[in-house]
Amino acid sequence: MRSKVSKKALAVLLAASMTLPMAISASAEGEELTDGKFAETKHITVEVYDRGNDGGSDPTNNKYTKYIQDKMMELHNVEVEFVAVPRWTEVEQINNLLAAGDAPDICVTYDYPTIQTYANMGGVLDLASFVDDYKDQLPNLWDWLGETNLYWDKDPSTGTLWAIEAKLATSNRINTFVRKDWLDALGLAEPTTKQEFEDMLIAFRDNAETLLGDDADKMIPYSVSYDVGWRAATLIESFIDPDISDREYYVNGFDDRKFTEPGTKEGVRLLNKWYNDGLMWKDFALYGSGDTTEDDMMKAGYVGAFTHNWDYPYRNGEDSILSNLKRMVGEDATYVVVDPFEDSKGTHTKFVSGPIDRKIFFPSTNDEPLASMLYLDFISAPETIEYLQIGDEGVTHNVLDDGAVEVIAATGDDIQNSGFNIDYTITCNGLKLTDPEVTLKSTAHSYAGIDPALVEEADKVANTDMRVGKNVNVGAISAEEGMGPALSEKRDVAYDNAVIAAPEEFDAVWDSNMEDYLSSGGQAIADERAEKWVATFGDVDTLPE
Amino acid sequence: MNKNGMRDPKKKKGGFAVYMKRYWQLYVLLLLPLLYLLIFKYIPMIYMQIAFKKYSIVQSVWEMPLAANHGFEYFIKAFQNRDFINALRNTLVLNLLDLIFGFPAPIIFALILNELVFRRFKRVVQTIAYMPHFLSWIIIYGLALQLFAPTTGLVNMVLGKLGIEAIPFLNEPGHWVATYVSLGVWQNFGWNSIIYLAAIAGINSELYEAASVDGAGRFKKMWHITLPGIRPTIVVLLIMNLGNILGSGFDRPFALQNNLVKNVAEVIATFVYKNGIKGLQFSLTTAVGFFQSVICLFFLLLANWISRKLGERGIW
Repeated sequence: MRSKVSKKALAVLLAASMTLPMAISASAEGEELTDGKFAETKHITVEVYDRGNDGGSDPTNNKYTKYIQDKMMELHNVEVEFVAVPRWTEVEQINNLLAAGDAPDICVTYDYPTIQTYANMGGVLDLASFVDDYKDQLPNLWDWLGETNLYWDKDPSTGTLWAIEAKLATSNRINTFVRKDWLDALGLAEPTTKQEFEDMLIAFRDNAETLLGDDADKMIPYSVSYDVGWRAATLIESFIDPDISDREYYVNGFDDRKFTEPGTKEGVRLLNKWYNDGLMWKDFALYGSGDTTEDDMMKAGYVGAFTHNWDYPYRNGEDSILSNLKRMVGEDATYVVVDPFEDSKGTHTKFVSGPIDRKIFFPSTNDEPLASMLYLDFISAPETIEYLQIGDEGVTHNVLDDGAVEVIAATGDDIQNSGFNIDYTITCNGLKLTDPEVTLKSTAHSYAGIDPALVEEADKVANTDMRVGKNVNVGAISAEEGMGPALSEKRDVAYDNAVIAAPEEFDAVWDSNMEDYLSSGGQAIADERAEKWVATFGDVDTLPE
Repeated sequence: MNKNGMRDPKKKKGGFAVYMKRYWQLYVLLLLPLLYLLIFKYIPMIYMQIAFKKYSIVQSVWEMPLAANHGFEYFIKAFQNRDFINALRNTLVLNLLDLIFGFPAPIIFALILNELVFRRFKRVVQTIAYMPHFLSWIIIYGLALQLFAPTTGLVNMVLGKLGIEAIPFLNEPGHWVATYVSLGVWQNFGWNSIIYLAAIAGINSELYEAASVDGAGRFKKMWHITLPGIRPTIVVLLIMNLGNILGSGFDRPFALQNNLVKNVAEVIATFVYKNGIKGLQFSLTTAVGFFQSVICLFFLLLANWISRKLGERGIW
């Protein structure tokens, strides 16, 4: 590493920083491949998330990175170097790297506006030509992502393509979990409506002594984090009209926490009631992103119900919430999925985005676009994805009698720092084996130490009444530029303060925060979205499937 | 050491050349700190221009086009941005409170410590009081959460057991400001007292003896000897503090703030971080930072001028 920077190097660095590098025009011509191999070894750097998990391995240097590096060398004569970026501050980190001109050749982020902003400044390569010109060299990439994901972000008027969208193998988003053993202890059935859910929370609160004994004062019937819009999403969404038009949904849809969608306020009002009735965790707003306090309380068995990623308590093998819960509380303790938030039609609509996941882009400092595209092709090959996801038989997975693959919790060098090594399979999120049938059978077995029936149920509920978002591509919305972080924070502030407000002040708190959000840029975004919708699609409310 | 000049220090002929010949080593030693200042404080100032330009990541700062309104587009934007106005207000209020409570604390502490008779006890107290200075704000926030969180914090748990309602140290704006200021005082009073203790040590002890003979008590001596003795130190530090009235550390407000108190906790530094680093609005936030520095400089000069008018020495 560069722990010792000599003064001379520093001087060179300074000189270089003063005469900022010109935009590198990456020409696609003149690079010859023989059997997919470069004549001369190429070097590329690739971003990988660092989750900093306990007992994990170095995300830039472990069994799986070596596999990738060896294969890339063998197939394409490309040397791959990984650059770690902390998962929970990825946007800030990638900003810093981009601004400093140090960003990896292949960057990954969940935040498209960041890419758009840098693209506007000329800091991102236009991928359109690479995707098309190299099509023959990229069979796996084309097979896996197809036009849908490759062209998802293609500007309808200019034709530029700043990022490629990775594919979600499963669209499952959010589920609500409750402590089944508590329901049993109190003789309650699993809740199927909001009212039943509320009654259940009240029963948890009132029977804290029975359920937790000496720890009764630690009881948290329903838990959310500071990110209320995510952590109560299914509840909030149940207040949105399930038949909301594509147009209205899009115009109000800049915020992915549905803050400005019609109906959200009433969802938060219900949370506010629960909060004031002592049904929720009082300290939720004080703990920031990535803090484990709330998870620890779930593991210790104090939390009755919560809403989170569709498989949240089952993730992470031995360190999963459920495994910890069983160790700490007893074998009977378990979280099961419920689907209690009915909407105005009596269905349980779950609004999910399209089949897109992370966004992959090349900064303009990338001078090996072909080698980088070949990397994306390699990482999208079915065999690569399968190996990275399930590893070696007998070490990280077993093959069951019916052919299904069962994941074993690995330790040491075999450990996967992220579930299914999602951080390496950057074009794929979700289990995808070479044989689709095996994939289906294996999903439930892929959670080490977890009863497959629980996972199957979670998958079923997550898919109930799912409404998949369409690709509304009207080009860049200039009002959104640079507004993401500030508006997201305003949204969180609004959600948090509305939840903890006194009931009689709820309307005032919500309205003033909403007013602030809209006048700080939210309204301008909605207006421009509405305008561009009409300009692109005409005066229609619904897009074709 | 083997220089001729060393042998004959009284000779004043030759002026600068002789002087440099004699002391050049000292200037060589000074070179490194100067280089540090140059590289990390002055060269980056070249980029201050982006406050007046339309920032682009791929252009050199000289090539970037001038922003609208004769380059003042981003200053206008900043003052139309109510988050910035809010941050400006909070920065002023929090720093003023820090000054009111945080500035006298080390002086009082130094006076008290000075009156202690037992040397060893004094040392122990001093060391303990320094300690928090070495904790980062992230750690202090961790401690504060463990102690003051509404339901999981130790203090509120004890209060709860005693039947007293929880105090919202961190989650109610008014209380949060008090917590913010108190934690600041707690972290720094010990460390900041060092300079006063040093000043007190420099006071001529004969003055105290004379006062004793005249029958002055402890408080009389404190008031008429110790305090006037350290007055120049107090004034210099006050000027420096006033110069920082609009500046603020980043880590303290950033670590301590949370969504429930954001409207009183957002300061300029965190505003710049959020909109500049996270929101990529580099020109806007550079304009804000530039404005902040100009105001700070103004206060510094003003305080210095006033103190000189009042007959103190000031810092120049």
